[in-house]
Amino acid sequence: MADVPAGRLPKPQMRGLLISHLKKHSAIALVFAMGVTLAYKFAVADPRKRNYEEFYKNYDVKREFEAMKEAGVFHSARPSWESSDD
Amino acid sequence: MATPAQLGLMDAASPVMEEMIYFHDHVMLVLILITCLIFYSMLVLMFSKYIYRFLTDGHVIETVWTVIPAIILVVVALPSLKLLYLTDELDNPQLTIKSVGHQWYWSYEYTDYYDIEFDSYMLPIGDLVGGDARLLEVDNRVVLPVDTSVRVLVTAADVIHAWTVPALGLKMDAVPGRLNQLALQCSRVGTFYGQCSEICGANHSFMPIVIEAVPVDVFESWCDGMLDSD
Repeated sequence: MADVPAGRLPKPQMRGLLISHLKKHSAIALVFAMGVTLAYKFAVADPRKRNYEEFYKNYDVKREFEAMKEAGVFHSARPSWESSDD
Repeated sequence: MATPAQLGLMDAASPVMEEMIYFHDHVMLVLILITCLIFYSMLVLMFSKYIYRFLTDGHVIETVWTVIPAIILVVVALPSLKLLYLTDELDNPQLTIKSVGHQWYWSYEYTDYYDIEFDSYMLPIGDLVGGDARLLEVDNRVVLPVDTSVRVLVTAADVIHAWTVPALGLKMDAVPGRLNQLALQCSRVGTFYGQCSEICGANHSFMPIVIEAVPVDVFESWCDGMLDSD
């Protein structure tokens, strides 16, 4: 008993608790949801668009085709080392 | 092609598939927003000690949770419809090919400028060489010019099949007695794989599609080679 502080407890909220509770948690929920959504937008969606833009900005069809051809990817165009092997 | 344990969509090889990926990201934003709201609400409710004994109705909240989902649906539907009409757009195709589904292989016809017809059977496992994909390789591939608008007319000779190439964002039912039109444009060179997507019998899983997107001059050489071999 000696360690109980003297003085009165703060008066609890007697009216409108549901509304104040809803307002507080609605705000937190909205901030949390918007935060995660914006994080997805800036971390995933926007970089993906930029990656596609960068990829096609300097895309050289001939260069890519020659590299794939030499790797033996295509049936319609065989690599140069295949004909020299023959 | 898809890689093991892949979760997301395949890398786009056509403008339409790119737009589908961006639309998927857009819808994911909406879904993440809703999921986080619900998740937080559930947490608060689970750990709350309060009970409101005099709760009888909630006209305001009922209005709110009717209007907001309607707005969300509009936010999703408008880009969706735009994409839907984009997939149907045919931009003055320079080439038309026909794809005919059979049990259990595809046949292709290039009858615009040449008279090329061939069948495309799946390569059995015994015929695969190193680097080939099991159940995806074919003996004769569909060769198409890159950066060229192509019209594909899809039909079938027996039962319903479906011609699919996920990397290009293409899927169309092949219905006997009906010609379905697809707009195809490869943005980059490479090989793109697909599989029949409508149950069509015992070997439904063993009639794949392979597209080779090559430069125009290589396509023309291939056409000459096909005509010579005929």
